[in-house]
Amino acid sequence: MNETFSKSVKALQAIVGERNATDDRAICTSYSRDQHWHFVPAKNPACVVRPGTKEEVRSVLMLANKHKIPVIPYSTGINVRGLTIPVHDGSILLDLSRMNRILEINPEMKTATVEPGVTFGMLFEQTRKHKLRPAFPDAPLTVSVLANYYLRGIYQTSATDGHDHTISYEMILPNGETLKTGSRALSEMPYFRSGVGPDFAGMFCAHPGTCGVVTELTAKLYRLYDNRKEYFIGFDDVGTPTEFIYNLMHDELAASIRLVDNQSWLEGIFGTFDYAYEKLPKFVLCVLVEGVDGIFDAKDKLVRKYMNESGGQVLELPAEFARTFEDECLGGAEKSCMVFGLPGKGNYHCIGLYGPLTQAAKYYEVHEKTALEVGIPKDHIHFYIDPIYSFHGQLCYFELDVFYDGSDAGFGDKLRNYNAKQFHRLLELGIYGWFRPYAGIIEPTAERIGYLAEVWKKFLRVLDPNEIMNRGKLF
Amino acid sequence: MEQEREKEILSAIHHCVKCKLCSIASFHPNVEWLPLCPSGQYYGYQAFYAPGKMEIFRAILEGEITEPSEGLLNAVYACTVCGACYEKCKQITSVELGAPELFEEMRRELASKGWILDVHKSIAEKIKETKNAYGEKYKYKAETTDQNADVIYYIGCTARYRVPEIADAMLEIFDKLGLKYQVMGEEWCCGSVLFRTGQVEAAKELVAHNVEEIRNSGAKTVVFTCPGCMKTFEKDYPDMGVELVHSTQFLTRLGNMNLKKDDLKAAYQDRCHFGRDFGIYEEPRALLNAVADIKTMKRENEQAWCCGSGGGVKSAFDDFALWSATERLKEAKEAGAEALVSACPFCKRNLKEAAENEEIEVYDVVELVNRCLEGRLR
Repeated sequence: MNETFSKSVKALQAIVGERNATDDRAICTSYSRDQHWHFVPAKNPACVVRPGTKEEVRSVLMLANKHKIPVIPYSTGINVRGLTIPVHDGSILLDLSRMNRILEINPEMKTATVEPGVTFGMLFEQTRKHKLRPAFPDAPLTVSVLANYYLRGIYQTSATDGHDHTISYEMILPNGETLKTGSRALSEMPYFRSGVGPDFAGMFCAHPGTCGVVTELTAKLYRLYDNRKEYFIGFDDVGTPTEFIYNLMHDELAASIRLVDNQSWLEGIFGTFDYAYEKLPKFVLCVLVEGVDGIFDAKDKLVRKYMNESGGQVLELPAEFARTFEDECLGGAEKSCMVFGLPGKGNYHCIGLYGPLTQAAKYYEVHEKTALEVGIPKDHIHFYIDPIYSFHGQLCYFELDVFYDGSDAGFGDKLRNYNAKQFHRLLELGIYGWFRPYAGIIEPTAERIGYLAEVWKKFLRVLDPNEIMNRGKLF
Repeated sequence: MEQEREKEILSAIHHCVKCKLCSIASFHPNVEWLPLCPSGQYYGYQAFYAPGKMEIFRAILEGEITEPSEGLLNAVYACTVCGACYEKCKQITSVELGAPELFEEMRRELASKGWILDVHKSIAEKIKETKNAYGEKYKYKAETTDQNADVIYYIGCTARYRVPEIADAMLEIFDKLGLKYQVMGEEWCCGSVLFRTGQVEAAKELVAHNVEEIRNSGAKTVVFTCPGCMKTFEKDYPDMGVELVHSTQFLTRLGNMNLKKDDLKAAYQDRCHFGRDFGIYEEPRALLNAVADIKTMKRENEQAWCCGSGGGVKSAFDDFALWSATERLKEAKEAGAEALVSACPFCKRNLKEAAENEEIEVYDVVELVNRCLEGRLR
């Protein structure tokens, strides 16, 4: 640690309190890796700072900006893509988990305003009192609501909710200025996305901490219905159920529609390893219908009609599986995270992408082909599809999964080979976009987006001329 | 550390995906956000949660951390090794090594390098000198009632020197029930604090002494009021061919003791070593139910909130230990309890200290049994 940096740590402690800033090596080490470590190797931040207020955030950013110290925003730390692992020496890791207040739940407006440290579990505990829920990502309910919405997570647990749940937010820029998006810029009412001029909220979103630090965000809440019914339909291939999925989406019938294979996510969705999953058809479509009385009955009738015409096998499963599926879809992912600990595997790798349902079989085909080419055994190759309302462009989220033993270094090599080939192949095949920008994915993508890449870079430099915000993580 | 063991540990560490679900109690179906990890909750940095500690252990084994620091010692030792994280992790993964086992192994690794807190070193010195963890020179007075009794009561340092009301109650129960028992002429510390803080070598002498005493006594059953001592005997002592039972098991087994039930509203504090280590949840509750009106807290059994005193925390991080206990007392009060009852001297001591300014009583279950015991088996 050089002397200048030690002075910075003292200055940071003066801002957030001695207890909340440290350059202790062991403490920093605990932030050095996430589960993407086969692709983003471990690296320590130089110090960890835990602000408790937005004013402390502002002071930290201004100090870092003055000394051109890289800053990595970190909310609750449940990260799967190496986005908070430092690229450069001498980085400040800005741990925002102390800022964990739910600032408002507004049942009339169907909104919640939260700080970065608020998790989905914390938020749902409060919103359910109003028969409302957030849109849950298929990530542990320990993840940050703010970071997930800001980064545009994946919300396949309830397709009805659509893709974007952010209404407005407040961001502190490296120069200390506060930027407010949507109606938040004009008034104390943060409930309208568009506000003035362009969709600034959209422009800043999905940046991995590379613009500034979002200190509060207003998000949409969704209704919880009492009427619910679940169906599980088995298929032997990916192509056959697509017509059924199309019908459900086209007629806006089901809340959750998840096509998963029988050896990975299904175990999490049902909440147990202890079941003869291998006896089920290779793919299972999990469908959840909900709604108010009359509408629910009508939807349910139509779902059953399409189900009977689908060519699939309607599965009779233990009642508790349906209950777990409900909890996981409409109450936050907990047991679903069993996929992170499948027996004999234990680690999770995926390429997440958006594309049209029409390409489903092709995505699966290329996933299997590339995986086998690089030596990944067939029983490690998994896949799922989640359609997203309002289904324009037949929008779906696809996940090309590999579950593996992370302690096997050789498997790590295979996955790196897989990624290197697969990113290009998928771009050739045609996709709408990636789950998130992260290591290895941004480079081949930037090559293809023409002048947009230049504009994007210039846009970032306007906000962050000293390039302190998560430096090196995007471009 | 042996290469094979190191590989096994690193493999377990690599399998942690850092979802941090281990830091909260089961969310479904009650939809309540209830923290489980006292250390993480109190200190906040990632280093104090199980995934962060594992990362530190990896860095030590892979040679990235080559010297001790204040943060290292705090992160490693400000953990009660309560095992709540492991109980939660087990529900959703197929973990091969439990977090408490890993963390105790990490402490042994640190201790082997001499990276240990001064206060824990000083406890080892006190034990060496006085054979008890508190360095007390006097002896707790307890007499064997029958040299040939099958039962020997291992009292333990905390019940002898810090919360003697527990040992007093247990001995009175024996007498009231007319049961013959032995106590050790020279009872030495079981070594729990040394094992839990990685100072394994220093514990060897204690083990040898206690084993010899128990073998010489001819007893068939060792009764403990301290689950920490019992765990140490079970896990770290050689098989002595005797039965190891906790007071609550021993008393439950006796059947109807003619207990006169009190109208006290009491919540039960699961002792981590007792519940999570031995899977014993029912016997203490059955016993408590016979003497008080049990109130259920939100976090119980496998997902009970630790009182905050174990794993060497009470001696080294008393502010944290008392905070953790205060959190538990609040929960007990919210459940409508007038008393929080444990089955462990260590829990009782810490909870009692924290309850000094709280409107709630703290007992060990044997104290209540003694109070409600009419005198003899029916």
